[in-house]
Amino acid sequence: MIERNERKAYWRHTKVQMLTSLLPFLLAMIILPLYADALNDKRVLGVPLGYFLACHGLMVIGFITVAVFINRQDAIDHWHGAHEDF
Amino acid sequence: MAFTSSTRLVNPRLGTYFGIFTAAFAALVLMALMLEQLGVPDSVLRLLMFAAPLILFAAVGLNARAHEAHDFFASGRRVPAFFNGLVLGVSALGGAGFLGLTGALFIAGFDALCLSIGWCAGLVFMAVLFAPYMRKFGAYTFPAFLGRRFDSRAVRVVAAVVACAPLLLLLTAETRFAAYAASWLLGQPEHVMTVILMVLVTVVLAAGGMRALTWASVAKAITALLALAIPATIFALMLSNLPLPQMTHGNTLRVLSRLELMRNVPIVVAPPLSLDLAGVGLEPLAKRFIQSFGSVGSFGFVLASLVLAAGIAASPALLPRSGTTPGVYEARKSLGWAVLVVGIVLLTLPAVAVYLRFLLFEQVIGQTPEQLPAWFQLLQQAGIAQIGSAAQPVSFGRLGFERDAVLFSLPIAAGYPQVLVYLALIGGLAAALAALSATLFALAALLAEDVLRGDPELASDRGRLARARIALAGVAIFAIWLATVVTADPLQLFLWAATLSASACFPVLVLAIWWRRIRTWGAIAGMLTGLGVAIGTIVLAESSALALPSALAAAIGLPCAVLATIASSLIAPAVGRNVLEQLREMRVPGGETVYDRELRLLRLKNRTPS
Repeated sequence: MIERNERKAYWRHTKVQMLTSLLPFLLAMIILPLYADALNDKRVLGVPLGYFLACHGLMVIGFITVAVFINRQDAIDHWHGAHEDF
Repeated sequence: MAFTSSTRLVNPRLGTYFGIFTAAFAALVLMALMLEQLGVPDSVLRLLMFAAPLILFAAVGLNARAHEAHDFFASGRRVPAFFNGLVLGVSALGGAGFLGLTGALFIAGFDALCLSIGWCAGLVFMAVLFAPYMRKFGAYTFPAFLGRRFDSRAVRVVAAVVACAPLLLLLTAETRFAAYAASWLLGQPEHVMTVILMVLVTVVLAAGGMRALTWASVAKAITALLALAIPATIFALMLSNLPLPQMTHGNTLRVLSRLELMRNVPIVVAPPLSLDLAGVGLEPLAKRFIQSFGSVGSFGFVLASLVLAAGIAASPALLPRSGTTPGVYEARKSLGWAVLVVGIVLLTLPAVAVYLRFLLFEQVIGQTPEQLPAWFQLLQQAGIAQIGSAAQPVSFGRLGFERDAVLFSLPIAAGYPQVLVYLALIGGLAAALAALSATLFALAALLAEDVLRGDPELASDRGRLARARIALAGVAIFAIWLATVVTADPLQLFLWAATLSASACFPVLVLAIWWRRIRTWGAIAGMLTGLGVAIGTIVLAESSALALPSALAAAIGLPCAVLATIASSLIAPAVGRNVLEQLREMRVPGGETVYDRELRLLRLKNRTPS
């Protein structure tokens, strides 16, 4: 169980993690599709690059974002002793 | 009574059970394929492919009955992360994803990717912003979470009323999608199928609540994924010798782009703030597949993906799902699985769209009506596709295609056995049913727990379950009526539901978890403002008094709701110490689930000495 005075540090850490997870993803999902047409001249694996990034790229970025978030947040929980104890 | 940590109660044989289910389903499809070769009449095959999976779903659901509130509303909090994520992913997509999005991708090409991005991002947002805290709090419904969070009955009722709007729209949309797929499968009118499906779903939900919902939905999700993967994989194998449609449809796309160039498909440019995804009925193919911003403008694209993301993340139908995992860590992990499942589906759907478009451009466009291939004549007879006038060669501009039929048109166009067409249909139906039952249950639980008078936490388990079952029956009847009366485009209804939950639920939920200084009045003002502004914007946009697509109403509603929440929180009286203490506790994963502990203490207090 978490110490009372540890709560503030834990929550600050968690907030920073939330922002570092969401902001890059948000940026990618807003900006990538806007430049898709310009990127479509190049190809990767035979797929036009712009389409590839907007379709495959964002799904992969999304999955990596969540995976890294789960891993980091779990580390934060353990660091502050806030993890579940079963 | 499992009120303490129930992590250790996870059933270790779940994998075996669903392995058996998958094998049974595969055996069913193989048997149907053999029967078709043996010359069994088509009507028998249709009935087999419709009834057998539904019987399997119902059997799985009815085997998971619930007698305690803990099981009925939270599935006993013992659903492992993978299964929870599977259900979450497929019920987030639902019929709108499987049937609607495939068609939108087929007709609008790249522009429909705004919806895919929104779906994926919505689950990412839910994972980071909401799911762990909803799980630690452990409330059974979305309004119960907010009501307990602010320790206010008023917030609870307002949240319930506000959440009803998106839930009803979503319920209607998914019922329509399910009835659409079922009526194609069985050849019966849609309203008959609506009644049959709704009765089936309601019986299963009434018997087992969230528990039956979870396990039946796992079965539905497996069916939907298999039914999506099999036709697309076979086609990818025939075309490129590699059974990975997600990766290999790029080459087909290149050929398709060349064909489109040869057939003089125009490059169209949409105004920045437009959102013209295909509607119902026969829609003309709008533009080149790969070209971006031809029917959805650049600004509309970004806004649509953001609005859908917020709407999915705060969807009152999906949020209770995070309460069913054994712990906070598992709740996070289940969202990871959900993003993976949704990502794979969202990479397969464009492949289906590209393949069908490729076949269309290679074999249909540019041909005279006498030269048309047999499969296209079949589609024409079924009313799925249409060419303008009869005499000239088929040209791009005069070709109409039915949006929701794209998913099961690929097996027809590729010349597969009929059973694979029915397989694609049952996949769409299963996905729509998963979303439909999640929404139906969320709405019924919300009515029984939050709207009806009295404190449900004080009632006995029997009373609570009885109330929920009555609410379930009532909502089901109302949904049947709604689905027969409302004739609007179901994808549009889905987008409206997303836009309403994005503007009414998302801001308050974010602030309730992440902003310590939000007050009771702020939450109420935020929800009411969000809902009011969003509905007002939709009405104005639909009456074309406002140059904004109605699906993007949250682009105005969400900022208004945030402002209203913050402004009223700053002037409202402070909240009690216990509310802040509860918030601090909710933010930390360790320790007992807040809601379960409250229930336990309440029972201890009210126990009469015997």
